[in-house]
Amino acid sequence: MIDQTLAGDQSAYADLVKRHQRFVFTLALRFAKNREDAEEIAQDCFIKAYRSLESFQRQAKFTTWLYSIVYTTAMTSLRKKRLDTDSIDNENTFIQVESQNSSFDTNNAENRSRSFYLNQAIEQLLPDDAMIITLFYKGEQSLEEIGQTMGMEPNTVKVKLFRARQRLKEKLERNLKHEVKELI
Amino acid sequence: MNTAEEKLWNYIDGTCTPAEQEAIRLQLEQDTAFAAKYRELLLLNSEFSAMELDEPPMAFTYNVIEGIRNEQALQPLKAAINKRIIRGISLLFIGMLSVILIYTFSKVSLSTGGTGINLFAKFTVPNFSKYFTGPVMQIFLFLDIVLALYLADNYLRKKRITKTDISVQPGVQQNDH
Repeated sequence: MIDQTLAGDQSAYADLVKRHQRFVFTLALRFAKNREDAEEIAQDCFIKAYRSLESFQRQAKFTTWLYSIVYTTAMTSLRKKRLDTDSIDNENTFIQVESQNSSFDTNNAENRSRSFYLNQAIEQLLPDDAMIITLFYKGEQSLEEIGQTMGMEPNTVKVKLFRARQRLKEKLERNLKHEVKELI
Repeated sequence: MNTAEEKLWNYIDGTCTPAEQEAIRLQLEQDTAFAAKYRELLLLNSEFSAMELDEPPMAFTYNVIEGIRNEQALQPLKAAINKRIIRGISLLFIGMLSVILIYTFSKVSLSTGGTGINLFAKFTVPNFSKYFTGPVMQIFLFLDIVLALYLADNYLRKKRITKTDISVQPGVQQNDH
């Protein structure tokens, strides 16, 4: 597919996009927090990847290379947004988002599945934590590969993964407790 | 020193050494609290693995390909044309302009009032009109065609080499085929 794309076959690249779009979009959503911005980031990533496909050395997996583009693009977008709003650089904002989500959805509590609560808890994590968790559990990426994607040492990734899992567990427990109280 | 939880996560992920693995296995058999924590983390691990991916909008792929096409359409012409062709054309123009300028100045006589000063009085310019005869023009055009063919051949050859390099890359890791 990569060779076909390099030879000028755009339909081959369309297939490549179809194959990876769900994961790239999910990663973008970890940073953007709304679907429109995530879509813009994900599209930007695929256009950037197409533009620099010739520079892909094939020493690492294509997905690792692609996810590193996602990470840098999403980080740049996040920094730009921070400069614009000057307010989303601490966890307080995520707590606010969390409380908004909780109050907004109280009427549908009985319809919620475990995966809903998990996604809600992931949304409340810091972008780096959410990215590591997603890459590890859904991206089939090893600690070394996550390190390559995010420009970190594998040991740092290991420590960050441990902390991210702890935070996710706490958020999940807190949300579930909150929902149980609401139901009672 | 690792905490019990950290040890257990390493055990679940399979990132600990065989010796550590054995030690944890023994502790799991003897320590009930440790075993309970292990079961809790194992459950959490399977929950995390069951996380669902988000679906992008229907037109996502189409939008990406459109974005690429728009970008290619906006690509400046200079990026698509070989630099040598541009240099060749500019050299040709510079040469022609120089010839015209020299010829013009040689014909101009600058004078102030009664006393005329010819700036090029001591500068003898060859009579160019005699060079622009039929055979000279033919040679000039012939050289232009040769130059154009040479540059076109060079450009196409380069393009073919790039294509061959892409298709014949030994020992590459093919991950998406």
